[in-house]
Amino acid sequence: METVTAKSTNVQYKSRSLAAETWRRLRKNKGAVAGMVFIVILVIATIVSGFIYDYETDIIGQNISERFTPPGLKYPFGTDQVGRNIFTRIIYGARYSLTISVGAVAIGLVVGVLFGSIAGFYGGLVDDLIMRVNDVLYAIPNIMIAVVVVSLFGTSTFNLLLALSINAATSFARIARASVMTLRGEEYIEASYAIGLPQWKIILKHIVPNCLSPIIVQTTLLIGTTIIAASSLSFLGIGIPAPAPEWGAMLSEGRDYMRSAGYICVIPGLAIMVTVLALNLLGDGLRDALDPKLKK
Amino acid sequence: MKENILEIKDLVVHYETDEGCVRAVNNVSFSIGKKTILGLVGETGAGKTTTALSILNLVPNPPGVIKNGSIILNGVDVLTLPENKLQEVRGKDVAMIFQDPMTALNPVMTIGEQIAESIMLHGEKDKEKALARAKEMLEHVGIAASRSGDYPHQLSGGMRQRVVIAIALACNPRLLIADEPTTALDVTIQAQILELIKELNRKFDTSMLLITHDLGVVAEVCDEVAVMYAGRIVEWGTADEVFNHTLHPYTEGLFNSLPNLRKRGEDLVPIKGMMPDPMNLPEGCAFAPRCPYAVPQCEKEVPELIKRGTHLVACRAYEDGNFKLRRNSNG
Amino acid sequence: MDNKEKDILLEVRDLKKYFDTPKGKLHAVDGVTFTVERGKTLGIVGESGCGKSTTGRCILKLIEPTSGKIIYNGEDITNYSSRKMRKLRTEMQMIFQDPFSSLDPRQTVMQAICEPIYEHKLIRGKKEVEKRALELMETVGLAPRLINTYPHELDGGRRQRIGIARALALNPKLVICDEPVSALDVSIQAQILNLMKQLQKELGLTYVFITHDLSVVKYFSDEIAVMYLGQLVEKAPSDELFERPLHPYTQKLLSAIPLPIVGKKKPERSLIKGEITSPVNLPDECRFNKRCDFRSEVCLKGNPQLQEISPNHFVACSRVHELM
Repeated sequence: METVTAKSTNVQYKSRSLAAETWRRLRKNKGAVAGMVFIVILVIATIVSGFIYDYETDIIGQNISERFTPPGLKYPFGTDQVGRNIFTRIIYGARYSLTISVGAVAIGLVVGVLFGSIAGFYGGLVDDLIMRVNDVLYAIPNIMIAVVVVSLFGTSTFNLLLALSINAATSFARIARASVMTLRGEEYIEASYAIGLPQWKIILKHIVPNCLSPIIVQTTLLIGTTIIAASSLSFLGIGIPAPAPEWGAMLSEGRDYMRSAGYICVIPGLAIMVTVLALNLLGDGLRDALDPKLKK
Repeated sequence: MKENILEIKDLVVHYETDEGCVRAVNNVSFSIGKKTILGLVGETGAGKTTTALSILNLVPNPPGVIKNGSIILNGVDVLTLPENKLQEVRGKDVAMIFQDPMTALNPVMTIGEQIAESIMLHGEKDKEKALARAKEMLEHVGIAASRSGDYPHQLSGGMRQRVVIAIALACNPRLLIADEPTTALDVTIQAQILELIKELNRKFDTSMLLITHDLGVVAEVCDEVAVMYAGRIVEWGTADEVFNHTLHPYTEGLFNSLPNLRKRGEDLVPIKGMMPDPMNLPEGCAFAPRCPYAVPQCEKEVPELIKRGTHLVACRAYEDGNFKLRRNSNG
Repeated sequence: MDNKEKDILLEVRDLKKYFDTPKGKLHAVDGVTFTVERGKTLGIVGESGCGKSTTGRCILKLIEPTSGKIIYNGEDITNYSSRKMRKLRTEMQMIFQDPFSSLDPRQTVMQAICEPIYEHKLIRGKKEVEKRALELMETVGLAPRLINTYPHELDGGRRQRIGIARALALNPKLVICDEPVSALDVSIQAQILNLMKQLQKELGLTYVFITHDLSVVKYFSDEIAVMYLGQLVEKAPSDELFERPLHPYTQKLLSAIPLPIVGKKKPERSLIKGEITSPVNLPDECRFNKRCDFRSEVCLKGNPQLQEISPNHFVACSRVHELM
């Protein structure tokens, strides 16, 4: 059935999906590309390090004779107060920051977008109820919620994840609600009603996918802030317990040696900073890459 | 020989985008005489707005680039002027009004203040005098002077467009460019605004470039008509010449598409196909793929403008002196 | 009105839709009554704020009417729940005005056209559904190679064809067209109008054609109803309305159309004065009286109702007999 019904012009319609368009635009943003590359390398490195290194000997094994070695050829980041290789610990330790933050943000995304969409779509009393609860949780600092959850339910990775996901959820709920409220009035939503689609299908099929842009951007930014939050908790001693090479914990341990072997403390701090910076650059780049599409 | 307020020669404007070069305006030349209203007609993508923006050198750059051409206004080539001299020209010698009256006005200034602002930008230092003149302008456009303290949101669409016209004419420009000024308005309000435009043209001797896709509006208001297609002028003449002695096949096609010239029950005769993508213009005449009179030669070379007195047409067919469109053959 | 002789598909009786605003009740639609015969086209014209779009949406129950009756094919659907309406949706469809915003930007052409078919399970099996979609595309003049393109890659004319294909996918009997060609260029308008006419002939469709463009509606409709501030002021067969407009507003409206004629005899244009009044808290008088050249005492005494002046020609004007 390859009949061409209209004598059309010479233009070839390139079937470029919105994802491909976004990717093309993103590639041009040097900062975003740098951020992306960094994150990818970090993820690969931390996964590989799990196979290469043995946890007991390489990561937490103490080597007193080599302690306080400053960064050099043998030990790129030096050794800490009990002789552990800071470089391998940093690389290995990335997994804690990444899994906790990605996990927390993922849970927060699902819960937050769900409630935010419902609030935005139905409005009225439902909206008020959901958003007031959201506002209360949003107002309480991330760390405090985490402290409360951890002190009530104990310090396990899971509990940490849950505690940090609350903050993410409140952010997503707000964004989802705003997007849904904007889209609710769009003509294609009205057209979906005219076709006979039930409300839940309209929300899932037509509204949520069109809110994705701000949500994607927020995801990368939230992963960054959650990494900092998780590290802060470990720094305070409520997060991942020592001797695990969680960056915040390493920072905390290194405090005592600021004067004599500052690198023990500074390097984990730098690791946190650079990772969050990479995520922010990526997030900014995504926002710019997705925006022109929205304007169209 | 009428004195020309505006003369455009060989204007070429392209937009350099990532996806390619959009050839928006390709070798456009026309002129507007004193007190004349010229209608620039064409469909979306024909290049009308880009042409208008070029006159004030307002084409966004990037990505727009004026590659060639001269625009002579009051004896000076606008395209060679530095920004500060241009600002003196804008608003004073040439004023422009746009399509959407809802967004053309500043919502936090009264309408009197907005008109006065334009007056003060171009010479009048005394605010009181400017406001007084603003009230005069409101009366000219049919709004009571007592409303000069109103804010835009208190006015309807038609009234806002009147205010926009008042701002444009406040400094008595020699040329007014109106880009689809009535498209967003209801038909009865449109009729009022068109009457107003005609009246102001009589009163103030202002020449006008009226950009529109509506041939009815053109017939109502314009003295001369230029038809644009794919960035070129394909026909130019007086309103009587273009409407009653149409020359270009595209213009004929436009008339055939109009429902109000047809009897109910008769099929409309639309022009088949679509205007070519300005990033991918064909080699020869841009209209040839859709033209019922095309011959193979048409696709090879871009036709030059052929003169028939004051009536110009860009179509090879007229190299044969006897060629006539079907529209004209049937009387 | 002799309903037995005519085959009436849609009847609207005293339809009202009011909105609550901070300033008071907005009378968007205020007592509209009309019928539409099967296979014919009713044009509803009016300017912004007259309530024509709201009327169209009430007919399809996209907006719930405040009062009045909507009777489709003999069934009173006014109070039907959304579940009951679901079945009827296959019979009543809408073509929207803005081809730029009435399509989900994330759906390809194929997905957009197949969606209604899947939703109502009219055809089973992916292959069969897609085959039907291709048929529809051919019917509306969309090239098959466009199946995986997105709306933003296409021009207005093609987008509107997608909208039409979607509306037709369910084999409707009644199609409400809300300014279907207003956003399109003149030459594309002509293509789409021809297509819609052809489809009406082939499929026996009944149209309600809502527009502000009088030249288009004359060409397209069998009957025309003119609305002003939520009410019908005149209703007549198409040719009759243009030859003998009786309501002062209709006269002004017709006079305002800029005709693309130069030099030859053109009717004198008579301009309407003033601006439209606010549809909130309307007094009980003729709503057009403040702008009417013929206003008099009687116009302030209550809102005139539609009267049949000549066969099938209805006018709502207190002075119509004097002015004729």
